[in-house]
Amino acid sequence: MADPIAILVADSDAVVRRFVGALLAHSGYQVHEAADGETAVRQAAALKPRLVILDVLLPGRDGYEVINALKADPATTRIPVMALSVKDREEDVVKALNLGAEDYVIKPFSTQELLARIRKILARSG
Amino acid sequence: MDPMRHLMVQIVTGVGTLLALLTLAIVTNKALREMGEALDRRRRALLEPAVFEYLGATSSKALLDYLPKSLSRRDRRLVERILLEAASFTKGEARDRITAACESLGSVREAIRGLRSRRWWKRADAAEKLGLMRSNAAVGPLVQLMNDQEPEVRIRAARALGLIRGSTSIRPLVRALGDPSRWSAIRVAEILINVGAEAVDELLIAFDALPHNARISALDVLGRIRSLRAVGLLKHCLDDAHPDIRARAAHSLGLIGDPATAADLVRALRDTEWPVRAMAAKALGRLGNPEAIGPLREAMKDRQWWVRANSGEALRNLGPPGREALTETLSSDDPYARHMAVAQLQEGRIIDEYVADLTSSDTGRRAAAIRFIDKVTAAARIDAKTQQAAASAQEGVRRALSNVLETPANGDAR
Repeated sequence: MADPIAILVADSDAVVRRFVGALLAHSGYQVHEAADGETAVRQAAALKPRLVILDVLLPGRDGYEVINALKADPATTRIPVMALSVKDREEDVVKALNLGAEDYVIKPFSTQELLARIRKILARSG
Repeated sequence: MDPMRHLMVQIVTGVGTLLALLTLAIVTNKALREMGEALDRRRRALLEPAVFEYLGATSSKALLDYLPKSLSRRDRRLVERILLEAASFTKGEARDRITAACESLGSVREAIRGLRSRRWWKRADAAEKLGLMRSNAAVGPLVQLMNDQEPEVRIRAARALGLIRGSTSIRPLVRALGDPSRWSAIRVAEILINVGAEAVDELLIAFDALPHNARISALDVLGRIRSLRAVGLLKHCLDDAHPDIRARAAHSLGLIGDPATAADLVRALRDTEWPVRAMAAKALGRLGNPEAIGPLREAMKDRQWWVRANSGEALRNLGPPGREALTETLSSDDPYARHMAVAQLQEGRIIDEYVADLTSSDTGRRAAAIRFIDKVTAAARIDAKTQQAAASAQEGVRRALSNVLETPANGDAR
């Protein structure tokens, strides 16, 4: 049997982290969690997940800095990133996408839509 | 024993006992609270995955089918807390499942009971919870609560109704717009704006019956919701007898940005009242319709500064043709229009762009820049450029500007 697909969820809110984690685990993914930007970068480099889902408002290094760091490191540059945030202004979304995020989902989010977008990104990234 | 001494011993013993009892009570209370929190954490670790599984599922199974068979009162409170926390970041089916779960757990019923509490903060808290639960069963009690004597309770009830949505929730909010003695129009308007498109129909239906100030607020809300369904009413309001209604309608048409309303706004540019003309000019800038350029150029000659300023800003927002119109206005026979054109070209840093071109290696661009600066100079607004000629760090810019302005290269201002 193939190894489950690993996804890293980085969010400062433990409830959101556990909720998204439970949702993904129930869909058969292997979930890792990070509560701040620094841990997210470190975990991504160490675990090489197939996808990083991160909140833009992370403590320490914010989500934009994390995207920057992941894209700058050859070891993580190919890992797709999905931003998941309450920041819903056009410039926030454009900034994340310009930095290299694959997708941007605004909170509150629909669970089914989130899963569909994740499947789409994973299919695209092979 | 000396009676005095005896009394002292008794007082000290009494105070000591009191302090010891107080300390014991505090320690016991803290220990109980910590035990309660530890128990909550343990129970939450058990209940939370079940609640999250229910929220992420697509089956029709109820929440109680996911939870352990016997739920204590503490468990129910914990489940309610988990559901309300999840309500803040979910929408769609998961959100509907939260409402259904709160109804089946009895949380909605309990919160409705809380609306009758004698303590106002408990009523306010219950109203807030009901807003998160979004149960239609709470609409009636919340509508009643909008008459509460405590302003904070009233506003929480209104906010809860805004979150529940549906016409029966929105109607009392629209009515509240018309009662400024009991409601802050700004707060109610914000709630209606957050409701969004669902509030539009109720606002349109109620509009004619609303008092004057409420109509102004309603027009503002309609503009900020940006629904095309409101365009008909807003166009109609451009002919209202009250200038503040006409002005607010023009402003809201600009926020909606339907290009088909350009002709109506151009007509409003000729309104007898300057606030209406100013708002129409601003709205035309937002529409981005090039047909508005001619009328906006004409409005640059308006006797009212706000109309000229908004017209100039609108032209700036209309891209290269608008900028061209501003440049042409530099040659207008109207000094007000000329001055405003210079101010707008300055504000948009368009003059700076031409100034930078004065040192361009492209002769065509250099010539165009000289012609442009000549026009600005002729419009009798050279002060800023003269200062720039003196202060620019670039020798080339300083010399070129000085030549155009015919000032000595050492920067003496004219």
